[in-house]
Amino acid sequence: MGYATGTHTSREGVAVSYARGTIAALVDAVVPATPGTGDGVQAAGALDIDLDETVETAFNELQEAPEGPIRSLGYETMPFAPLLALLLDVGALELILKREREAPLQAPDERFAGGPFSRLAREDRMRAIRLLEADGVVPALDERFGDAPIGIVAYLMQGALFITTMAAYSDWGDDSERPQGWEQADYPGPADGYAVHMGYEVDEFEENDYGADAEEGDAE
Amino acid sequence: MTGSGVDMSDPDVVVVGAGGDAPALAWRLGQQGIDVLLLEAGPFHGNEQFPNPHSERGNAASASTEDLSGGLLDQQFTAREGDMGSPVDGKLRWGPADAERAPWARTVPQTGVISQVAGVGGTTLHYYGNHPRAFVPSVDQQPHWPIDYADLVPYYQHLEAVHPVKPAPTTPKAELFFEGARRSGYDLTTGLNVEDEGYRPFPNAIHQPDESLRRDGDYDGDFRDVSGDTLACHEHQGGPHPRGADFEDRAKRGSLTSLVPKALATGHVEIRPNAFATDILTRAGPGPLEACGVAYRDTWTGRTRRVFADCVVLAAGCIETPRLWLNSGLPDDGWVGKGLTTHHFDFVSGTFDSDTLEELIGQRKVEPHQGQAAGSRLDVPGKGGIAVNTFAPGITASVMFSESVDGFAFENDTTGEPWDTQGRVTGTKLKEEMSDYRRMLTLICHTDDRPRQDNGVTLDSNTEDEHGPVARLDWSPHPEDDERRDDLARRASKLLDEAGANHIHRAAAAPIFLHLQSSMALGKVLDSGGEALSVDRLFVADHSALANGVGGANPTHTGQALALRTAEHLADRYFDGVADPIPANPTPASADD
Repeated sequence: MGYATGTHTSREGVAVSYARGTIAALVDAVVPATPGTGDGVQAAGALDIDLDETVETAFNELQEAPEGPIRSLGYETMPFAPLLALLLDVGALELILKREREAPLQAPDERFAGGPFSRLAREDRMRAIRLLEADGVVPALDERFGDAPIGIVAYLMQGALFITTMAAYSDWGDDSERPQGWEQADYPGPADGYAVHMGYEVDEFEENDYGADAEEGDAE
Repeated sequence: MTGSGVDMSDPDVVVVGAGGDAPALAWRLGQQGIDVLLLEAGPFHGNEQFPNPHSERGNAASASTEDLSGGLLDQQFTAREGDMGSPVDGKLRWGPADAERAPWARTVPQTGVISQVAGVGGTTLHYYGNHPRAFVPSVDQQPHWPIDYADLVPYYQHLEAVHPVKPAPTTPKAELFFEGARRSGYDLTTGLNVEDEGYRPFPNAIHQPDESLRRDGDYDGDFRDVSGDTLACHEHQGGPHPRGADFEDRAKRGSLTSLVPKALATGHVEIRPNAFATDILTRAGPGPLEACGVAYRDTWTGRTRRVFADCVVLAAGCIETPRLWLNSGLPDDGWVGKGLTTHHFDFVSGTFDSDTLEELIGQRKVEPHQGQAAGSRLDVPGKGGIAVNTFAPGITASVMFSESVDGFAFENDTTGEPWDTQGRVTGTKLKEEMSDYRRMLTLICHTDDRPRQDNGVTLDSNTEDEHGPVARLDWSPHPEDDERRDDLARRASKLLDEAGANHIHRAAAAPIFLHLQSSMALGKVLDSGGEALSVDRLFVADHSALANGVGGANPTHTGQALALRTAEHLADRYFDGVADPIPANPTPASADD
């Protein structure tokens, strides 16, 4: 049950793929279940709407495979979800090795994979992402080899957070009539209109004179 | 160029792209009796020739307003955030019409988010209808433009009359913004030509709402019995309101509903969606190279065809226009694809308690999801602009709290800063922020970032799709751009504080490639009439032709104004001129200046 490939079996006996299980640890850190917070904050989190599946699918459908080796391996689209998972574990490993972890390692949730990212506490998972995009070994390589597009790692990390967050708070991650994220935000969903017209601060703009005052320059 | 069929149509001008700007050019050319074919890579929504644009190809082209259908638009534009706006599988994305396929590739080797839309109407499909003119000094005093602000004014005026462009109505969230601006000491701006700081309602290409929709009135209808904006706040999702109206009467005047019908009505314009241009065809002329046509690939059938014309216009946007140029092997003196500006966005939000709101705007919540998405703004010429920018929760969460160049809020010390938190917000804190969605006002900062040759588009020779090597995008702010952005974020924060916000958050946003300008700039790659300096009969008429970022004002108005002007120069140089010039005496421009 090596974590780098294939699947492992959760305590419930459900097969969890490495990619899905690692992404589960990501979405859980961004929008965790928070039982008992009260005060109008919803208890349910990203895993309650299977956001790990949404993000995995999105990453595997992010772009078509270019002509060349990836396509000849039989992929029609780039397999970015396993790549994302692998990168998250690389970041986690770097965090652990550099002793920049702030909380003890933990037994992974049963929906998580078994790699280092899945064993980090929630904020430490975000610190691992920070290493991947800005402070760690990978961005240092990007500085050294400027022409090689190593910065794509940073792009994928930003994409992972953007997609997770947008999906968690819209019908993208929960296609029910009343998505969980809209519920949390108390957003009523699409409307035909609102009677909230309060008149005009300016009735009509005027064709005013210009060109009297003048200085700016800032030539580059 | 071998092995592809020759297109049977015989246009005078072929245009690559039918996005925000090209329909303005096509309309103007069509008015002169010049036959124009637009090749659009993405789908054509609300058109009977393509009744199911995301699941089947439909017919080849549309050339008549008879094809336009408000009913289809209502069906296709559901106003649901993910269904419309998911950048991966939404209807408004940068990708082929076929929903079964993935988006088209770009190489972005840095932190950032691309937010472009393929389809007739382009990125105006999800824009907010914002049509401010360029800041006067950004044209007349920055060193980039080879033409004067005054040269643009008649075209602005023309568009302001035809869309039309009008002051946005005050709504509760706008009033909250205005009060913050007044308390910060800003004056109200009432002129169209902006040189000085001030706040104002947005000049918007959105039909003003029916007077029956007053907050203090007693409207209780279904919003299908009114004309004009219904204040539903679905601009980002395509803005199809009012539901049930004729295609051309939809309130938000994106190119699809405003300019495309006008272009088709000339009887000289044909639009072919699902047609991805892959090569600009040229021949040796008496002087420089001459463009004579375009090769394009049908995104459903994969068939490549060629179409020949007297002139070619590129209007595929700031990324694809230079990509197509470079993939066609056209000359590059170092500025093709370069000088890209992005308005170096930032976002600042304020959350208010209900008593403060009650006192200020007479209701206990901000209600960001009601009223025009962006109806009020603050201009700061020399720095940029600040505007109310509101969204449904998915985009709110992702732009406010998920994208940043400054890490995570839980690590960032904001002591001494005017905001309480900065950077990405995750975990319980994110849930708390989003629980306050309806009491939150979100502001966008548009920085007046300046063109720099290091920033822009090149080809990624390692990544090739069916259209050739894909575009690689590199953009980073100059320290002076960062300073301007910081200045705007501080002003935004002060405005929210003055309005009484009790919690302020700054995203310190990662680059968002949405407002894109100046990657094929007038004065660098193009002459002052919009024609390529190194290739005759080849014009550019999209935001890439803008010479800079127009000061940080939303770029659509200037992009369309310039497209109208370029159409007139094209007609003057290669056809019989313009029968009804705007203005009456156009400034002469030559291929040399």
